Amino acid sequence: MLNLEHLLLSAEDDLKINQIFHHLREKYKDYQDPWGLNLELCEKTLRKLLPVYRSYFKVRVFGAENVKDHSYIVVSNHTGQLPIDGMMITIAFLMDITPPRILRVMVERFMAQLPFIGDLSAQTGAIMGDRNNCAFLIDHGESILVFPEGVSGISKNTSDFYKMRPFTEGFYRIALQKKTPILPICVIGAEEMFPFVFHSKKLAHALHVPALPIMSNLLPLPSPIDIYIGEEITIPEHIETEATEKEIKENVFHIENTIKRMLITGLKNRRPFFDHIRKPISKFVIKEFKNKSHQ
Amino acid sequence: MNESKKILIIGIAGGLAQITARLILTENPDWEIIGIDSRDVSKVVPLKNLTAINLKYSRGNFENLFRNHHFHAVYHLGRISHASNEQNILAKRIDLSVMGTNRILELCERSDVKKVVILSTFHVYGALPDNSIFLGEDAPLRASIRHPELRDVIEMDQMCTSWMWKNQNSISAVVLRPCNIIGTQIQNSMTKFLSGPVALSPIDYNPFFQFIHEFDMASILYQALSKLPTGTYNVAGNDFISLREALKVVGTKGVPFPMIFSGGLNSILKKFNIDVPEYLLDYLKFSCLISNSELKKHLGPEFLRFSIKETLELIRLR
Repeated sequence: MLNLEHLLLSAEDDLKINQIFHHLREKYKDYQDPWGLNLELCEKTLRKLLPVYRSYFKVRVFGAENVKDHSYIVVSNHTGQLPIDGMMITIAFLMDITPPRILRVMVERFMAQLPFIGDLSAQTGAIMGDRNNCAFLIDHGESILVFPEGVSGISKNTSDFYKMRPFTEGFYRIALQKKTPILPICVIGAEEMFPFVFHSKKLAHALHVPALPIMSNLLPLPSPIDIYIGEEITIPEHIETEATEKEIKENVFHIENTIKRMLITGLKNRRPFFDHIRKPISKFVIKEFKNKSHQ
Repeated sequence: MNESKKILIIGIAGGLAQITARLILTENPDWEIIGIDSRDVSKVVPLKNLTAINLKYSRGNFENLFRNHHFHAVYHLGRISHASNEQNILAKRIDLSVMGTNRILELCERSDVKKVVILSTFHVYGALPDNSIFLGEDAPLRASIRHPELRDVIEMDQMCTSWMWKNQNSISAVVLRPCNIIGTQIQNSMTKFLSGPVALSPIDYNPFFQFIHEFDMASILYQALSKLPTGTYNVAGNDFISLREALKVVGTKGVPFPMIFSGGLNSILKKFNIDVPEYLLDYLKFSCLISNSELKKHLGPEFLRFSIKETLELIRLR
């Protein structure tokens, strides 16, 4: 029978996936995950999504050498209308980072209660965004992926593409408590997957969902994605666990600005796609960032 | 513990209470146990030094029991179960679980009882989609957010806890919040669910469960007398298991069912006189795992005899 997966997956990638999951099975052999992380399902999902990662979104990873072999709180900007950026970062940390790891993605509480989706996401490594859950995973040597912009990061109208929303501070409190370094990440290219978007906040509120994007296309367009991994940011020794909000905000602002700088560089260097939309947006974002930096 | 002591066990008709009584008397043959229950006690397995009495603890005779005997310790294992959602049962539950417990505690205080062990449940935390992993004893008791009919369980737990701290200088009291207790002698909803010929197996959710064997629970109840200082303790083992895996271990055939229709399912089951408490259906959707770190501090790291798989395998004997 024709196996589409084998046709789309290169022999090199096939071998690499086998090696990665051999390593992960060894790593997790004495660990039982209370959310139900399922390595078999992760491997199957990776085999299906890798062709999308390689050939459809043509993902490039910059700064892979910045990732060391220890736990991180990986902090990224949030773009696109669906959490495809999270999926691509997760694949990057499996395929293009050494040693490979399954990033535990923090998801909205709303996700956990969805039938099928809640279970499926938990089996592939997602967990509900909660400080106790994070602390548990860090204690077990796991790395966590957070999007401190929250849902508002991906629920943006076309005119707001690449404008980062203010970061929430919860992730920094966890990093402080566990003294876990932060790894800043910037994803470029995900906004153009759905180039024309309108968000009806009222409709989303009426349907009890966090966001309801109305998009021109149902399937994401093949916008090339670049993932930039910055240098790790260590938690200053002098800050106490119960630091004031002001102290926390200053540090979170520093992380936010680091990612914004990566965003500017990324926007300048990205590959051509949908230029008539993104060039004016890029110019506007860069100009706005420079203005704010001057202030 | 060689000195002869009198123990009162409330809820002696229950399987767990009888196992606990047997364990206490095996370890301390000179001790005497008075067991009471508002249910029929004629089926209580007779033991030397165990007297089972049919008595409601909300009645005057119950007070006389404390006057006539000097109890060293009181086990309150008589919380009425939530096996039915009928309104009259709810009123009865509030009367017995809350008002009755209040009466028991008052009598313990007046009668110079040295130790009180109260059996609450992990259901006080509730099965909610945003539950943190491994809830500690200080986690909020949120069960009644979705199911107001559980308010008696929470009220009872909170009442016992506040009474416990208020009287900590005169009485040592322990509130235990065990995970799902299962076994061949116990008749709770979870044991029935797992050991039936078929069981609902959600296709859209796969929550995790903790189980403790009835013998292990009885052992903890016994150890609570001497090893546990005043406080509230979650009771669970170190391991946990998904519902689908649990059904496989027990060997019960899972009937695939989408839990998004569970509301409708309950009304259909009611027509066939099968009354499944709605709050239990939530446990088939969302995990409620509890932390055992407080208990481990006093009982050591390996305080259970049976692993979760052995516990599940043992209910096959039912």
